[in-house]
Formats: sequence, C-alpha cells, structure tokens
Amino acid sequence: MPLLTVTGLSKRFGGLDAVADIDMHVDEGELVALIGPNGAGKTTLFNLLTGVTPPTSGTITLDVAGQSVSLIGKPPYQVAKMGLARTFQNIRLFARLTVRENIQAAMTHRYTENFFAQILRLPAYYRKEQLVATWTDALLTAFDLTDVADLDADNLPYGTQRRVEIARAVATQPKIIFLDEPAAGMNPEETAALTALIRRLRSEFHLTVVLIEHDMSLVMNLAERIYVLEHGKLIATGTPAAIQQDEAVIAAYLGGGVHA
Amino acid sequence: MATKWKAALAWLAIAVFGFVLINVLIVVGVVDAFIENMLVTIGINIILATGLNLIIGFSGQFSLGHAGFMAVGAYATAIITSSMPTVFGFYLSMAVGILIAMGVAVIIGVPTLRLRGDYLAIATMGAAEIIRVILNNLKITNGAAGMFNIPALAGWPTVYVLVCLTTLMIVNFARSRAGRAIQAIREDEIAAEASGIDPTKWKLAAFVMGGATAAIGGSLHAVYIQTIAPSDFGIMNSIAILIIVVLGGVGSMTGTFMAAIVLGVLDTVLQSFGPLRMVIYALALILIMVFKPSGLLGRYEVSIRAWFDRKGGQHATSNSDRSE
Repeated sequence: MPLLTVTGLSKRFGGLDAVADIDMHVDEGELVALIGPNGAGKTTLFNLLTGVTPPTSGTITLDVAGQSVSLIGKPPYQVAKMGLARTFQNIRLFARLTVRENIQAAMTHRYTENFFAQILRLPAYYRKEQLVATWTDALLTAFDLTDVADLDADNLPYGTQRRVEIARAVATQPKIIFLDEPAAGMNPEETAALTALIRRLRSEFHLTVVLIEHDMSLVMNLAERIYVLEHGKLIATGTPAAIQQDEAVIAAYLGGGVHA
Repeated sequence: MATKWKAALAWLAIAVFGFVLINVLIVVGVVDAFIENMLVTIGINIILATGLNLIIGFSGQFSLGHAGFMAVGAYATAIITSSMPTVFGFYLSMAVGILIAMGVAVIIGVPTLRLRGDYLAIATMGAAEIIRVILNNLKITNGAAGMFNIPALAGWPTVYVLVCLTTLMIVNFARSRAGRAIQAIREDEIAAEASGIDPTKWKLAAFVMGGATAAIGGSLHAVYIQTIAPSDFGIMNSIAILIIVVLGGVGSMTGTFMAAIVLGVLDTVLQSFGPLRMVIYALALILIMVFKPSGLLGRYEVSIRAWFDRKGGQHATSNSDRSE
C-alpha cells in the first residue's frame, strides 16, 4: 500500500478549477517531484494535502501502520501530527524567535508534560526539556545551523532561512516532507548544497520527500518520479527520462503545437 | 552545581532580601503608611500586568478586557469574605475567583480568539463591559453602590509573596513548551499550525492563564482597598494595565516590573502637584513612547542564569540557558 494515496482530488475557487480530479500516490521512501507552469495549481495541491485548504471533493489517505486513515477535514496541526510536514514558497519562519526556538516550537506536540510540571518546574519538565534539547542539537548539527542557533531567524541570509525552515519541518518528526520551491532564489552553489541536503533528508532522516520545483536540473537530478500539472490537471507521470520525452509536457512548457 | 539551581537560589535570595529590606525600612520608619500603600499598589499592578503581558506580548493577542477578570476576583473575594471573614476565607475566595475567571476566559476566548488585532481588542473590551454591567445589576454584588467593609485580610507581605509566586508561574509558562508555542503562533499562525501547534488551544491557554492572574490581583485589590464598585473595573482600568505593559516593553516581563514601579512612584510623587498631576503623567508617557517606542526594555529580560553561564565561561551549548 502506498504511504499517501490521493484519489479524485478537486478544488474549485468560484468558477475556477484550481485542482481537478487528481489521482496520485507516494510510496514510502520515495522522492517525488511536482512540476508545472506557473499557476498550474501545485501550491494549491500542497495546501490541500496539508489541510490548509479543504478540498471540494476527493480523498486523501495516509497509511498508518497498515491502516489507511483519511486526512480530509483534519486541521493542519492534526495533519502535521500525523506526519505530514511542509515548507512554504515564501519562507514562513517565526521571525523574532531564534533558530533554536524555531526548531523547538515545532516539537510542541512531540514532547509533552502536564501543565503543573510546566509551571512548577517538576522533574518531568526537565526530563522533557532534555529530550527537546538533544533532538534540537542533533538537528542544528545536521543542518549546519549550530553557529546561528541563537540568532533571530529574520536576521539570517536567505539560504540559511530556507535551511532553518526545512530543519523546523523535520523537527516535527514527519513521515513525508513537502518542500514548496526550496531552490527559489538560490544561486547554483546554494542549489547544489540544497540537492545534497534533500538527499540526506531521505538517507539520514528516512523521510519521504515531495517537492515542487521550477529548477529543472534539480528536479531531474533528484526525483525518482515526476507528476506534471497544468491548469489543475495531471498531464503526465513518470520517471525524469520519460517526462523529458513526453509530448504533452513539452507542449505545456513550450506552448502547444510543437509537433503539430 | 548546575547553573539552573544556582540561578534559582539567586532569585530566591533576591526575593528574601527584598522582603527583609521592606520589613527593616518599615521598622526604621523610612517606609510609612503612605509609601507602603504605594508598594502594595505597585505589587498588585505587577500581578495584573505580567498576566496581560503574557496575553499581549507573548501570545500576541491584543486584549483590552483585563479589568473584567480583575473584577471577577475582587467580587468573589468581597462576597465570600463577607460571610467568612477569615484568612482561610480569603484564600478560598481567591481560589474561587481564579476558577470563575478561568471559566469566563474560556467562554470569552473560544469565540473571540479567532479575531485578530483591533477586532479582538474591541471584542474583549465588550466582554469586560458585560461583566461590569452584570455586576452593576446583581443583588449579591450590591449593584452600582458596590461592596463596603471588606475585611482587611492581606497586607503587603501577602501581596509580596503573591507577586513572587505569580511571576514565577507566568515566567515558567512563558519559558517552556507553552511559551514557545504561543510565540510561534504570534509570529506566524499558518506556519505554527503546519508545525503541529493547535492555535486555538494555545491562545486560549495564554488567555486563561492571564485571566487567572488578573483574578488574583482583583482579590488582593478587594481586601486591601476594602471597598469595590463596578466602576473600578471599567475600560480605563484595563487601559491603565495596558499602559504598564506597553511602557515596559511588550514581551519583556522585566520591563513590566520596571514600568509598574516607575509609574507607581511617579503617581505617588505627583500627588502633591494637584490637578497638574495627570498632565505631567501623560507627558511622561508621551516622552517615553517618543524616545523608546518599544518600551523601556523592548524584549530584554534579566537572566541570572545567562550571567552565571557567561561568568563560568561556558558557551551556550545546552538549549535551556535562555530560561529564567
């Protein structure tokens, strides 16, 4: 059974079919890319999958220990608890919190203590904070953020902010991580570093990765499978090699009638 | 010894020292009844304002209804101590006031905390007005005339101890999982929700916590002033507490302490200026806001722990060195 299964997913804004009748699946440990021209509905699809916007129709199910659990109608924080983490196209960090606090905040639902342990600083509080500290330090090291750990997030350079956002998503201990245009605005060196980082998400953190990206070299380099979206519809699915040869995809990107 | 214990002991020492100092000054005669009154007012204001700072500064919810929660605590104490004029009755009434205030905070918070900024301010202001109007019209609260002859069951020592306790709890709350969650929501609610944080739950937690401490302040107010009326808990009283928070620096508990003390002293000193008092007071506020728009301390917090860490030459390697 695939980790994530989507059938007949649609979202209609007024008269516009932003996303129409999408069927897709993501297997455990896969690295899947979602591409398409601007306005194709990629981010809308991400928002549907992570519960930010409710779909008009269709189903989304997650495989939880052999049981398929529907994600429809669940608010984003519950979707996040079930193991779907994401980053945003326009970076959304907790600007006036430090990098460390950004990461710790994302563990709110993972390590808990009761209210009295918290305000009276009982031993349970310190045990839990120790777990948070250990996991935070591990993430800071893994994402090369130790040097900036105690700086406010909004004072960091763009590329570093992207890394913090990915680290924060990993801190929620997800099964699947959705990256919305992680390479946007990056120079070639930063993109190369990002490519390596995304590979490590899978090898070190055992995550399944779904990413939206316009940088084709990154997509062809990383993705094992690609979904191509145009005007809210899936027009092609397959390996990078197959997608590069797909006529519908070429037409979508270069304009219709290339071979006509 | 771990710095966390050293810091805790240092704070305890400071608290005990302050207590002894005030005691000595009273015995020597430096602190007369007039100054003692000022100290108690400052203490009550600190309790009220730290709770409001938790709501406004940390969770970013602009509440203008703090006096409403204060009224709940004050009336709970006035009513219960009228039939139980003992110290036990006072603490019982405080507990009842806290519970009612928490209940009221949940009732107000669930529908209104979805609102943002100025809309929330107006909604909370309205809720506080509803509380005031209810108190104005009930028989048990003696209507608009208010309640008199509330037994004097708390002096400055009680206020002092409660200032320490409520501050400790609020700071602990703000510097833990809950504090990180509410600050994350303040910074970016969408990102917080995507990170597994339930915004409604945590905003409500901060609101309820702030309401509970306001009730403590109200209880102390009732037994210290000994006379309360619904008009003591109007919108201007909410704004007076808000001024302390904004002046000290939204998001800085140390700033709230400082602002409460500065304004309390200023208010007392200006008593002798008669009608000019309010003009000078207002001018002082304007000047501070012009030259320090983020408040006296901005977001700065005093941290003995950080000081110990620096002194020990340790680098910030463990995560919890930002706590109290």
